[in-house]
Amino acid sequence: MNFQLTEKQKLIRRRIRTFSEDFLAPVAPIIDRELKFSWETARELKKINAWGIQLPQKYGGAELDSISYAICIEEIARVCASTALNVTVHNSVGAFPIYKWGTEKQKEKYLYDLASGNKIAAFTWTEPNAGSDAGGIESLAIEEDDKFILNGSKIFVTNGGVASIILVGAKYQKSDGNHGIGTFIVEKEMDGLEIGDTEDKLGMRGSSTTSLYFHDIEIPKTNILGRLDDGFKIAMKTLNVGRIGIAAQAVGIAQAAYEYSVKYAKGRIQFNKPISQFEGISFKLADMATDIDAARLLVYKAANFKDLNRPFAKESAMCKYYASKIAREITQKAIQIHGGYGYMKDLPLERFYRDSKVTEIYEGTSEIMKLIIAQQILRGDL
Amino acid sequence: MLEVYVLIKQVPKSHSLRIDKSSGALIRENIENIINPDDLYALELALTLKESYDAHTVVMTMGPPQAESALREALAMGIDDAVLISDPQFAYSDTLQTTLVIKEAFEYLKRYDLLITGSETSDSSTGQVPYQLSEALDIPLITDIFEYKIEGRNFYCQRNFGHESQNIQVELPIMLRVRRHFNKPRHVPLLGIKKAFEKKIKIIDFNTLNCPDYLDGCNKSPTIVVKTEKFIPKRKNQFIEGTIKEQAEFIKNVMKENGIERQWTGI
Ligand SMILES: Cc1cc2nc3c(=O)[nH]c(=O)nc-3n(C[C@H](O)[C@H](O)[C@H](O)COP(=O)(O)OP(=O)(O)OC[C@H]3O[C@@H](n4cnc5c(N)ncnc54)[C@H](O)[C@@H]3O)c2cc1C
Repeated sequence: MNFQLTEKQKLIRRRIRTFSEDFLAPVAPIIDRELKFSWETARELKKINAWGIQLPQKYGGAELDSISYAICIEEIARVCASTALNVTVHNSVGAFPIYKWGTEKQKEKYLYDLASGNKIAAFTWTEPNAGSDAGGIESLAIEEDDKFILNGSKIFVTNGGVASIILVGAKYQKSDGNHGIGTFIVEKEMDGLEIGDTEDKLGMRGSSTTSLYFHDIEIPKTNILGRLDDGFKIAMKTLNVGRIGIAAQAVGIAQAAYEYSVKYAKGRIQFNKPISQFEGISFKLADMATDIDAARLLVYKAANFKDLNRPFAKESAMCKYYASKIAREITQKAIQIHGGYGYMKDLPLERFYRDSKVTEIYEGTSEIMKLIIAQQILRGDL
Repeated sequence: MLEVYVLIKQVPKSHSLRIDKSSGALIRENIENIINPDDLYALELALTLKESYDAHTVVMTMGPPQAESALREALAMGIDDAVLISDPQFAYSDTLQTTLVIKEAFEYLKRYDLLITGSETSDSSTGQVPYQLSEALDIPLITDIFEYKIEGRNFYCQRNFGHESQNIQVELPIMLRVRRHFNKPRHVPLLGIKKAFEKKIKIIDFNTLNCPDYLDGCNKSPTIVVKTEKFIPKRKNQFIEGTIKEQAEFIKNVMKENGIERQWTGI
């Protein structure tokens, strides 16, 4: 066992960090304040292959391993969590499933544009009446000759307002539970797609979250992803991958809050000494450092299992559950260490705090993560 | 095709700089190493050249085996090939020994049209190698250019010269030492990083070169580091009161007391 990153991974970390500090740091507070997706940032990200981190070189991707992927998302999130969200959703639950389950034709048609970032992807499952209970979706795709007619609506769609390629879960027959569900590739240009208003939200405000409405959208059968009746399975397997990215994002947010805290605690003088010399503060820093290290290692483990083609549903749920939890705790402690200054918008600590919360919610809540972990261990996967 | 060489050095990242108390030398183990920041501008110039001219770009460094990672980073930026000059014999070379080894390397490589360097290294800041190397190879060195074009074997450029600029025409091969912020070094694409690690790096060691025996860094470097000290310039803030005239008079006195008074003679 080796706890060293490879030279390549180290270089990736350093260069993505430089990129993030140069390009993302100035815009992060602005897009947060203005509730805005930044197309300019999206263009800069194209130049470094951030929209095709793991896609094969054949399609223009960088074909990197999953630990490198986690490093990229962590480093972007360390500076701008919203941007990390846009990027990881596009890569891991947008482009990845097309690469994994798509036909050659679908790959040819979509992957070049996705790898380059010419088109942005979204993955939409959640509906007003179906969140954690993913099998409870009500969007309906009814077969008609060589196509399906899609009706229904989705909520909380990341990249909703900016995506051109949207993976949609829908029932193709009325049935209970996880059966009769297909995953369909919907294109922005298709008639009948309506995009809702941008949601106003607590954090991740530089990410476009919208509803989507489907009015008799005609989806050609060539746009079914994988086998028609595998829709639910594809979604669950996709989320196993996606969660590694979300966990990496949480680690990045935590890391940022931690770095600010260490610096501040060393410089802030009260009672004639730096507050870092008070145990009440230094122990918080020790906890932060330990938690981040543990979370990061869980992320790398899940990523590594994925690359080794080992089952990683449990590992992925564990890393997301743990990383999101410590991100929320650490960003909160970071504000405490900064005192009143931490509460003000002049510093990014309050943004980190707001951004961190949702990592415990999307791509499966922490309760659902524990459900998955419990299922796996009780099944015998100790 | 133009053979363009960029000479870079791997240096410790400034925040991780530590000095060994007993030897006075920089501690180079277990620290984060980066491409010398000034050299990024040299690399960027080579990459820009490649976009407009038929050029083959090579990055070269002389250093320990771990300097390979600096070369990989340059490859990731888009440089075509890399050369590492490395041998235990070359360890602890000062700027003169370094120059002489690099000179031997170029004698061995034979073909070169343009050698580009940064201004100075962040870990020793002498800025001597470009000047020495141009002497050793007997080719012109041009510093501080801001405009350039190449036609055939001719290199045309404008360079800063104090408050003036000079137009220069010179025949290749030449050396260029570029100024900081001369351009904006590009960001490295992830695919570039991936490909950089698939490339083979050419290694030049003592035996590759036909080194005369004075090229033995450890023993033959004329430079001796006597002592390394942390130097913090002392500053004092003082508020001056009174009329402008009184304030000026006060400043003049301070300058006089410190021996930096100079009589203004006009033009
Ligand atoms: C900013 C943002 C972006 C999002 N992006 C996307 C996207 O791109 N695509 C997409 O499809 N979805 C997206 N979502 C939706 C997200 O995945 C869901 O919000 C999440 O899965 C929870 O569903 P819900 O909100 O309906 O909550 P509910 O499922 O109603 O859960 C409410 C509470 O009950 C708990 N709960 C539910 N069931 C159980 C159980 N069995 N045991 C214990 N506790 C339980 C939950 O953990 C939660 O605490 C996004 C959400 C947000 C906030």
